[in-house]
Amino acid sequence: MKNILTVLALLVTTSAFAQTEVTTTIGAGSAAPVIRIAVPFPELAPSTGAAAAPVNAEEVRTGFYGPLTRDIAYSGIFAIAVLPPSVPVTPDLLKRVGAQYYLKLNVWLEGAEYVVEGRLIDASGATQLAKRYRGTPGALGRTAHLLANELLKALNGRPGVFLSQLAFASNRTGNWEIWLMDWDGANQRRITFHNALSILPSWSPDNERMVYTSFARGTSDMYIINRRGGGRVSVHSGLALNTSATFSPVSNDIAFVGSVRGNPDIYLIKDDGTNVRRLTSTGSIESTPEWSPNGRQIAFTSGRSGSPQIYVMDAEGTNVRRISYDGNWNDDAVFAPDGERIAYTSRVNGRFQIRIANLITSENHIVAGEGSNEQPTWSPDGQWIAFQSNRSGKWQVYRMRADGSDLLQLTFTSENKEPDWSKKPE
Amino acid sequence: MTRIWKALLTSLVIVLVVLAPACKTTKKKVDTKPVVETTQPPPPEIAVQTDTATTVAPPDDFVKTDTVAEEVIPTGIEELNRWVHDKGYIRDAFFTYDESTLDADAQAALSASANWLKSAQGANYRLLIQGHCDERGTEQYNLALGDRRANVAKDYLATLGVDASRVQTVSYGEERPFEEGHDESAWAQNRRAHLVLVQ
Repeated sequence: MKNILTVLALLVTTSAFAQTEVTTTIGAGSAAPVIRIAVPFPELAPSTGAAAAPVNAEEVRTGFYGPLTRDIAYSGIFAIAVLPPSVPVTPDLLKRVGAQYYLKLNVWLEGAEYVVEGRLIDASGATQLAKRYRGTPGALGRTAHLLANELLKALNGRPGVFLSQLAFASNRTGNWEIWLMDWDGANQRRITFHNALSILPSWSPDNERMVYTSFARGTSDMYIINRRGGGRVSVHSGLALNTSATFSPVSNDIAFVGSVRGNPDIYLIKDDGTNVRRLTSTGSIESTPEWSPNGRQIAFTSGRSGSPQIYVMDAEGTNVRRISYDGNWNDDAVFAPDGERIAYTSRVNGRFQIRIANLITSENHIVAGEGSNEQPTWSPDGQWIAFQSNRSGKWQVYRMRADGSDLLQLTFTSENKEPDWSKKPE
Repeated sequence: MTRIWKALLTSLVIVLVVLAPACKTTKKKVDTKPVVETTQPPPPEIAVQTDTATTVAPPDDFVKTDTVAEEVIPTGIEELNRWVHDKGYIRDAFFTYDESTLDADAQAALSASANWLKSAQGANYRLLIQGHCDERGTEQYNLALGDRRANVAKDYLATLGVDASRVQTVSYGEERPFEEGHDESAWAQNRRAHLVLVQ
């Protein structure tokens, strides 16, 4: 599938930051997997062979087996080996299909609850991992993600991001409100009920809260809400705008855009609404702050050069340096979890595309696709980028690997935008 | 195009207002004239040439005449807003791409608005200025740009004597476009400081 990755080398002479510009095309190709694993559909009975109540196979398929096999397929380390149907799984069969592992699944009902059992068996027939989960039908998806994380932990040393969440804004109720979804687009649920324009959600570092902007009171204000939609408080800065709010990864500060008399600047405020501090003081427009993972730096957008460009400053507002030089409109900078790379939205040939700049090597490349592609957000493991694209004619949220491969559309209903990936993998 | 239409309507109103004292006895009929006019087809494209600051007559002419004072002002705030915009008493300021400076048209629109806001009628209302941007930028930066546009309009009104304490601002960036199209005519409509009367 690597043939789908078209890599174009373009000559760029505009800046010291981009010696060689490489464009990667967003597509359906996938990274080279390393481990072949067979994952046949679960036996719908206890592994002991004991009798059990009849199980709705379709519910198991859509609720559990589908999400599990998608997680495994998108893990980046597994390729799923296809087994012939209705044949007993033996070490010989695994050898013939080239599978190094076999995930034996049993699913049955006990009362109203599902029991899910997963055994990871290697080519010699030895069990490497055994896990059992119990839960309501609504918890099948979460069970799939838990088991997939255990698989990755066992064979790759660390869990995947299968339990991470994406916050986003959707207008499917007639107003833009804040919604959440699982990493695969499942389980989309509404978090805010302002019945007013509510946008730009951003997760807290502990994955428990979000800060966002709502126009519920006529002007734009910051609000904090927990991931279950409760505990809503407004964070009153006394300034205008209150947009692009984002939690510090290391303190209770929130960086945001505040404005006094039409001069938008980057400010800090504590999450209890106290201690407002101004970090930038130019007469130009400053916007869109985003913290580095260690909380020591803040990336932001400034119009000080005459067009919106990306800058990085220390968290005290000092040591400002310019990051973007290409194009006449750059915005939405976000640090990768490694702290070395910044993804941002950049105008390229009249449309917006996602650029990734490496702060250490100064390399800079475009991950380009159809339509405009904006507002990137990194997965907590730095492997994925979610973003919004209007390639379908409407704004929808998509997910891709950071190299542009494995593209997946996550939202389909009405319009959806401004994804923000939760900060921790679980 | 609606801007041009409004400018023409404004001129019509002014003409009618000037004529009105000459036929006081038939004033009620005269007053209904502008409403009748609005049902006519839009002016031809060439009307663009007339849309300059010079077409705006000294605003005092129409805020101080008895005729205007006796006009029936809509009571509902939404109707009122439609009415003042239709009449050209309140006019939005439009901007060029990625700009927040006021050109001659925008200044003319705001000075007409300032005159009405300072009139006996307008003095009863406060003003909310919404800053809007076209879709060609990015959402987060455009929210900041919209804030600047709204405040540039507010500051200009203040220089014309509209007390800043009467005026609030809000930026919608590109979140609330007036026109949904994806061409320059739609974009031009969406780059504006939109003036809204509030009670």
